[in-house]
Amino acid sequence: MAETDLESGLKIVDGFDLDPDLRALLRPGELVEGIGGQYHHLPRYFYEIPSHEAARDIRLTPHFGLNEFLLVDLKEAARVRAFPRYVPCAIRIVAFYLERVREATGAPVHLAVNGGYRSPAHKLSVAATPHMWGTAADVYRIGTVVLRDRASIETYNRVIEDLTDDIYVMPYGHEIGKADDHIHVDLGYVTVVPREISEDRLEGPQDRPRVAFEERRRGDRRGWPREPLPEVFPAAAHAGSDEPGSRK
Amino acid sequence: MARTEARPPAETEARDSVARAEQSLYASVLAIRDRNELERLGIAFYDAETTLQWSYNADAVFHAASTMKLAVLLAVFRQYTRGELALDEPVHVRNKFISIHDRRPYMLDISHDTEGEVYERLGRTMSVERLAYHMITSSSNFATNLLVDVVGVPVIQTALAEMKIDGIEVLRGVEDQAAFDAGLNNEVTANGLLKLLRLVAEGRAYGEEASARMREILLDQRFKSGIPAGLPPAARVAHKSGNISTVHHDAGIVYLEGRRPYVLVVLTQFPSEAGLTTAVADVSRDIYECLAGMNGG
Repeated sequence: MAETDLESGLKIVDGFDLDPDLRALLRPGELVEGIGGQYHHLPRYFYEIPSHEAARDIRLTPHFGLNEFLLVDLKEAARVRAFPRYVPCAIRIVAFYLERVREATGAPVHLAVNGGYRSPAHKLSVAATPHMWGTAADVYRIGTVVLRDRASIETYNRVIEDLTDDIYVMPYGHEIGKADDHIHVDLGYVTVVPREISEDRLEGPQDRPRVAFEERRRGDRRGWPREPLPEVFPAAAHAGSDEPGSRK
Repeated sequence: MARTEARPPAETEARDSVARAEQSLYASVLAIRDRNELERLGIAFYDAETTLQWSYNADAVFHAASTMKLAVLLAVFRQYTRGELALDEPVHVRNKFISIHDRRPYMLDISHDTEGEVYERLGRTMSVERLAYHMITSSSNFATNLLVDVVGVPVIQTALAEMKIDGIEVLRGVEDQAAFDAGLNNEVTANGLLKLLRLVAEGRAYGEEASARMREILLDQRFKSGIPAGLPPAARVAHKSGNISTVHHDAGIVYLEGRRPYVLVVLTQFPSEAGLTTAVADVSRDIYECLAGMNGG
């Protein structure tokens, strides 16, 4: 993707403005029941990803590309897999936390197929799973360690749990609600409304679809000079933060 | 008094030739059974060149072993032909399956040695077509279970029913121990497999395109200790073998230069302490020699 496209930021769309087929699959704002009997509203605001190349090139964090959260197989509805694709705006947050996981483990974190965003039409979306909010990730490998036994999963589970209380880590086990061939982390049912889009909409298709383009948040992408940080900030705390586009 | 019509000498001679061939085959098959100490033997054969059809114990039910993968292949191409499945669709290569018996998850005992390329893709995706290829050519249990998951057991059964194939029953994927313990097994008869392969050979398994693609996959079979071992090196065989501790099967379409193909299914069962026999190859050789004799070769 060209640098100029990156600078324009991601396009944000209101799910109610999507075409009827997509709306039926993504079910924006709809109330769904979780396994525990709680109800949650599905996300309404989505990033629009125009192409495979865009998904590959857009970095959510220094080490996580957007494409990693879109990797699904035929369990996902074909229409949802077709570009332009739509992913809840909260995807940024889980990427942020995965970057922290990567720092804590000191190794690349690999998401499983179907381990990022799953639409409500995905065959694994049997109840309200945070995957439908784009706030969950299934990790099948950390560094060279393939996570498929109790020892490796519980070891890394503990590392992640120690990071923050914001993350839920699924315990090891074979039953529903447990994981034995990956690490499941999620942030719960978080929805994000980017500051650029307006919520003054009815919950139905409008004459003029409303979209917005997210600003690039980072100063260096907005043209701020790359000067050394003031002395009040320890240089070490920011080491590596000025390496946009680096890959894992 | 009934009047009998006189038959032309050539026709009578041909009938006699077939009768002699059948008698010879029968004696030979009994000898193979005894020599290999088989508990059971089932054979079904159809030659498109001579239209000769011959069978021995062909409706006896056997443990299907990996011959059930032919039914999975048929179901994959059913879905493809109906536009419900694209062959290039990605499938997550994940070693976790759900038992059809108690809905509990189970994993296959797999390694690079047994699964090759499929194992290497663990955690990533493979296309439906690539999985079908490995399911047949290297008899990958992993690929098979992934495809059973994709199409579903009910669709496999529907495909068999649509094609009016009796004698193949697919109830579960591979290594589903809970289902096995509950007596839920995949079973085949020689006649059932013969029917399926005749449809594939004749372009009637969901059309010529689907049949041709199935034949291409079957022709790349890597395990050749069954039917191919009884044939001249120039013979090409589109086939699927099946082996477990007490059975050795092979079912295939045999292509020989200058003639139409024949379809042969050989199912064998032997005591677990006896080990693998050469019975399938022996039967294949006898059938080939019988046909060569009838053709004057």
